[in-house]
Amino acid sequence: MEEELRVRLNDHQVSKIFPVKPKSTAKSVSKSETTDSRYWSSFKPNSNIPKLVSSVAALAFSPVHPHSLAVAHSTTVSLFSSHTLSVSRRFSFKDVVSSVCFRSDGALLAASDLSGVVQVFDVKERMALRSLRSHKAPARFVKYPFQDKLHLVSGGDDGVVKYWDVAGATVISDLLGHKDYVRCGDCSPVNDSMFVTGSYDHTVKVWDARVDTSKCIAEINHGGPVEDVVYLPSGGMIATAGLNSVKVWDLIGGGRMVCSMESHNKTVTSLCVGRMGLDEAAENRLVSVSLDGYMKVFDYGRAKMTYSMRFPAPLMSVALSPDSSLRVIGGSNGMLFAGKKKKLPDAEKKATSFWSVNSQVEESRRRALRPTYFRYFQRGQSEKPSKEDYLVKEMKGVKLARHDKLLKKFRHKEALVSVLEEKKPANVVAVMEELVARRKMMKCVSNMEEGELGLLLSFLQRYCTVQRYSVLLMALTKKVLEMRAEDINGKEEFKGVLRNLKREVNQEIMIQQSLVEIQGVIAPLMRIAGRI
Amino acid sequence: MIRGGSSYVASAPSFSNDAKKLLVCTGNTVSVFSVATGLKITSLEGHTAPVTTLIVVPASTAAQKILCYCWTASLDGTIRHWDFSGPELLKTIDAHVPIYSMVIPSLLSEPHLTDSTKLVAYVSVEDASLVKEGSKELRGHIRRFNLAKERLPRGDTLKETEEPKSIVISPSGEFFGILHKCKIHVWDTVTSGGSIRNAVSKKMTLHHTKVINAFAFHPTERIIAAGDVTGRVLIWRGFGNRKLALGSQKKNVRSVVDLDNPGVRDGDDAESSTTWHWHSAEVNVLNFSSDGEYLYTGGREGVLVVWKLDTGKKKFLPRIGSPLLYFMWSPDPTLSSVVCADNQIHLLKMPSMEILRTISGIKPPPSLPKMYEGLASTVAFDRSSGVAALCTENYCVQLYNLLNDRGISEVQVCERNHQPGDEITVVVTAVALSLDGSVMSTTEVKLAEDGIGGLVSLKFWVSEPDNKTFTLSTIVYEPHKDAGVSAIAFHPTRSMAVSTSFGGDFKIWVCNGSDKDSSSWTCHAVGSYKKKPMTAAAFSGDGTVLAVAAEKVITLWNPGKNILLSVLGATLTPITKLCFAGKSEFLVAASHVPKPQLSVWNTSKLSLSWSYELRIEAVTSAVDSSAFAVLALIPETFKKSKSKKNIFSGRDGAILLFNGSDPKPVSIWTVIKGEGGSISFLEGEDDKSQLRLAYVNGSHEYVVFHPNSDETHERCAEGLTGDEETAGDFGYTSLYGKLPDYDKKRLECVESLATPFVSSERPWETIFSGSTLNFPPLQKLCGEFFESLMEKRTAVVE
Repeated sequence: MEEELRVRLNDHQVSKIFPVKPKSTAKSVSKSETTDSRYWSSFKPNSNIPKLVSSVAALAFSPVHPHSLAVAHSTTVSLFSSHTLSVSRRFSFKDVVSSVCFRSDGALLAASDLSGVVQVFDVKERMALRSLRSHKAPARFVKYPFQDKLHLVSGGDDGVVKYWDVAGATVISDLLGHKDYVRCGDCSPVNDSMFVTGSYDHTVKVWDARVDTSKCIAEINHGGPVEDVVYLPSGGMIATAGLNSVKVWDLIGGGRMVCSMESHNKTVTSLCVGRMGLDEAAENRLVSVSLDGYMKVFDYGRAKMTYSMRFPAPLMSVALSPDSSLRVIGGSNGMLFAGKKKKLPDAEKKATSFWSVNSQVEESRRRALRPTYFRYFQRGQSEKPSKEDYLVKEMKGVKLARHDKLLKKFRHKEALVSVLEEKKPANVVAVMEELVARRKMMKCVSNMEEGELGLLLSFLQRYCTVQRYSVLLMALTKKVLEMRAEDINGKEEFKGVLRNLKREVNQEIMIQQSLVEIQGVIAPLMRIAGRI
Repeated sequence: MIRGGSSYVASAPSFSNDAKKLLVCTGNTVSVFSVATGLKITSLEGHTAPVTTLIVVPASTAAQKILCYCWTASLDGTIRHWDFSGPELLKTIDAHVPIYSMVIPSLLSEPHLTDSTKLVAYVSVEDASLVKEGSKELRGHIRRFNLAKERLPRGDTLKETEEPKSIVISPSGEFFGILHKCKIHVWDTVTSGGSIRNAVSKKMTLHHTKVINAFAFHPTERIIAAGDVTGRVLIWRGFGNRKLALGSQKKNVRSVVDLDNPGVRDGDDAESSTTWHWHSAEVNVLNFSSDGEYLYTGGREGVLVVWKLDTGKKKFLPRIGSPLLYFMWSPDPTLSSVVCADNQIHLLKMPSMEILRTISGIKPPPSLPKMYEGLASTVAFDRSSGVAALCTENYCVQLYNLLNDRGISEVQVCERNHQPGDEITVVVTAVALSLDGSVMSTTEVKLAEDGIGGLVSLKFWVSEPDNKTFTLSTIVYEPHKDAGVSAIAFHPTRSMAVSTSFGGDFKIWVCNGSDKDSSSWTCHAVGSYKKKPMTAAAFSGDGTVLAVAAEKVITLWNPGKNILLSVLGATLTPITKLCFAGKSEFLVAASHVPKPQLSVWNTSKLSLSWSYELRIEAVTSAVDSSAFAVLALIPETFKKSKSKKNIFSGRDGAILLFNGSDPKPVSIWTVIKGEGGSISFLEGEDDKSQLRLAYVNGSHEYVVFHPNSDETHERCAEGLTGDEETAGDFGYTSLYGKLPDYDKKRLECVESLATPFVSSERPWETIFSGSTLNFPPLQKLCGEFFESLMEKRTAVVE
């Protein structure tokens, strides 16, 4: 017995049956499946958010669970629940809201509007708790410091950055230095009194509230009007966006530029930092959105763009929820593009399933198998081999489709007809190639009956201009029309097919002509380029 | 020196009595293979011409099964008796005439008779002694020999035929017969054995309307089965009851004379004749099973058919993939073997007819359509391991270890079901191996039917290290649009390849991805030169320069950056082969249509150094040194000249070994079947610097030898290759009319000297070799030339 087994394992087929296989198609050279692309494309788009009235100026997530989302659009700030993505509360303003921000405990919400007023709300009440009036021009940003619950930082078109005492609604210090509109700012994620502001005078200034002189402690020139600035999680680096570039700076290293990304085609409007997953090893990425409608993910550690996604509108703002389950992008037309991640099955669930298996086993023990049960006949089939078992692999049979079987019996025409009925163009072409190799294609065509000829013609009409098959099919179409001219002529059922075929041919000719034209334009350019 | 690649299928193999060994005629020797492992155990060497018949002395009792005696007959005119367990030659009988077939009936009919003195053999010989020009004497003779004597008299002639025929004997030893066109002649051994003096033994004839290809006797009953060229199988039952009757049966015979015999033609001596028809083409194999219940037939289709003799029911072993030649059953009832035309011997497990094991010889080259003859490069070598990749039938590439003479594996390039004998519509035109042997590249062409459906594809295969099974890595359909691929070459160090096309461009392919599973080959660069067809390509030894032949000029490129470095002048005819001479700056180019030329170019001076008017089949170069070797076909004019006729007896090719820039070959070996052959340097087994040269000829026989050792030369001379200094036509022949004359003289001189390599100090030999640029002024040359002639004359006087 053992001998026989060994013999079986040794044996090799001299000659195998090969089913007809379609040509394999080329795979893209770039690896489509990187960890980044897998992560960033796993946000499932949510389409049932109603369109908002006007451009989404700002987005903010609450730092505490359940991470509700504040959306600033027009004169309203809407509070969305992050689970259902439905509006739970609205706060209205006198003018267009420009910026919104949660306090570190998520209980208060600050927002600035174009009338220059900064208002503070309790998230559970409608009315404003405080109105901070001091800006003489539209206020553009407002931000709570990292853990500090008592102060606010705001900036506006008057070029002044203000450090507020919220309880007293008074300005502690006016920070002067910007020569143009202050458009953005961010507070350090490690220090309560450090913050940066970006302005249209191309500079980003670093401020320290502990310093009395009301002068900035560092300055960075971005090289263009700064649209947004964010601290990276370490607190020592910042990222700035202005014009179509995003730059990463090292503050501790004296304001040195670390890297820059210039893959957007239009002004970058907003930045945010996202964490890829929740575990310790997860890396941070810089997410930027731009007026060109692209969201780009930038791996600033490797200075490489890792993911890019297109949206059907100019994008104004972006935010990622702190638990990285939600990605929200606001468009200039009021669209809110929200993407939600699927919840992973928890560890708890695994534990319960483990227990449930046990209970199943117990149940099956209770019901002894009898030959009258269906399960009786399936017993032991799913048994896994143990370690010392000797595995004998079953000889894998070749799977033959219907046309393969017909080809094996040399019934060529029937094979062609059966594969034509299957409506898989790649298979049809593969069978045709096999017939050509057997020198039987012409015979098949001449033997076809009317219905079958119609099938063939409609297939040819549909696919003869598809680039992948055109070499074979165009020649074949010509041949078929030549050979069966008298059968096709004047038949009602072929009229439609022939008309379509003619249209296809005309279309193809037009495409070819335009391609030739383009080539004519390009060729001299190439020639010149080659000379240089 | 290693020889190999001999055909295993020239004549029928035979099992030993214990069915553990299989004896196979391999050219001049008989090889003994182990059935259990499929490996060669030993070989019987002694015959000096191909062995044609092999008869294992059968065992009558169980005790005798260990006996290992056999008889062989060969075209050298000797019959030999061997003990193949040893192996040991026991006896040699000289018959003086080439023996094409032999049977010894008494071994079968009287197996207890171990005494060889009474053995009588029937042989089929070719006796050309009586045949004169124009006479009607027949060459083939069936004769009777008594094996008791050491030297044989002429023997009794039973039958004369135009050609020597092969004799078939019945398993019982009672009858034997030969085929003759549409007839089968059968003799009775008992009667003919009884009357030794009476040369005319009893004979009968069976007739058929078609040419019979094969026939067989039933082991116990009086049944003959025959297969004809149209695929029919005829079965005659009860033959020879009248004419070949044995003494005891004589009474019955008279009673059946007047009976109506259905299906029997011309009043032949048989009771009945039936016809079976399944085979679509000729039947080559016919054999009854040992118990006589079944009949095995096979033919061109490569399907073994088993017929039940009573009912005519069939069973099949399909898709063997090659025409069948022989079917042998063994003393072990569970084992038999099928021999195929592609040099494979399949061992079958019997009742189920599964193929247990295959003894794989080197496969014969494929038959290519006419347009691809001479263009396809169908042999590639792996220099380090000595493995050759050979294109064969069935769209296969066989990987064959030249050093062990064993087939390693097979790669089916094109996944199609193959029917032997079909019209060829898919052709594997080229195979190339990378220098380390880990990547193989093949191209195949699907020929179009009426102008539709033609397809060229290029495939890259990768193998595991130290496991020569290749798996498909990348397919490129239409690599050069619809133009055919003319050559493929691999970069010596990087994973880079170049393919050139007749469509006027070449493409450089690189492998991206480090691990085996994800790596694929993609196009890295495309180049073309004045839209000329690119016909050959080669990388330089260090891989920094890529030479691509654009018809008559050679273009040199930087393969990494795809920059045209320079263009080397023009040859007379389109170049078909390119090769860098090792790491030196010399580039060898060969072209043959319409005018053959071998030219060597200096890439540093960008000039032609020298050239010969020789048709080159293959070029190879050593990796480290500047030596290179070419396989040249000897020109017809040269062969016909009378003085050399004895040198080129049957040899049509020559391997010339050159060293760098020197136009004088270091050594020359003449070879047979050079057309379609291939050569390559291989690394030495112990010392890598010591090179070996492998030559595979047009019918896939090969030899591996050390080109620099003297020992080889002597042995070469006797067999496949022989060494003799020859001279090609130097490039200056046209310039100086007297040169060919002088060449001949030199040759004669060489012949008289007997040592093949003349290292003389004659100065004129070096004058005419070298670049035109280095050519001395004519005045100086003339003086020296005439001086040399004068010197020559004095030499002749001596």
